Amino acid sequence: MSKKRFNRTSKCRFCRMGVEELDYKDTQNLVKLTTNQGKLFSRKRSGNCAHHQHSVKLSVKRARFMALLPYVA
Amino acid sequence: MYEGLFLIDNTHASMEWDNVVKHIHDILQKNGAEILKTEKWGEKKLAYKIKGHKRGTYLLIHFNTKSGAITAIKRDFQLSDYIIRSLIVKDDKIEEVSQIGVIEPIPARNTGATPEIKDAELLEKTDMAINVTGEA
Ligand SMILES: [Zn+2]
Repeated sequence: MSKKRFNRTSKCRFCRMGVEELDYKDTQNLVKLTTNQGKLFSRKRSGNCAHHQHSVKLSVKRARFMALLPYVA
Repeated sequence: MYEGLFLIDNTHASMEWDNVVKHIHDILQKNGAEILKTEKWGEKKLAYKIKGHKRGTYLLIHFNTKSGAITAIKRDFQLSDYIIRSLIVKDDKIEEVSQIGVIEPIPARNTGATPEIKDAELLEKTDMAINVTGEA
């Protein structure tokens, strides 16, 4: 239905994987997208495109609100 | 389609789970919601303490309702004694979202003192790698 963005040469891991949006409930994956201190990686550091960096940020913030992820470690 | 995640006080969750679920369903139905799916996540350790609670039980509910009803629903949940915290998210892509699979972690960076320079280096390397594959 929805057109998947798929680009082999993209710097953004989610574009490469064809992932549209992240899920705030997917704690196991989200934890890999934060530092040991539970902070978000910068866009530059993560290599995410604007769309996916926004999606990561929103998901991590939602997960924090529901105590699925820490605000600070 | 809406998705609500509810963090429930463990004392109530262990003593009267069915009551808690009914209580939440009642609030939703009272506000005209149609419940599509109810899923118990079970008891989990919280990432940080909330009002003295170190652990809690999560309940996930998918439901349909008119967008105007959400404000009333949220207010009712805030007044509930069973619920420590709740989050309601509008989501039309729930099925897709749950099929992401495994994400490669962002590699740990050496705990050096000059992160800016390392960022720049990393960026350059990726740029070069892309150029190489592009030309080949
Ligand atoms: Zn992307």
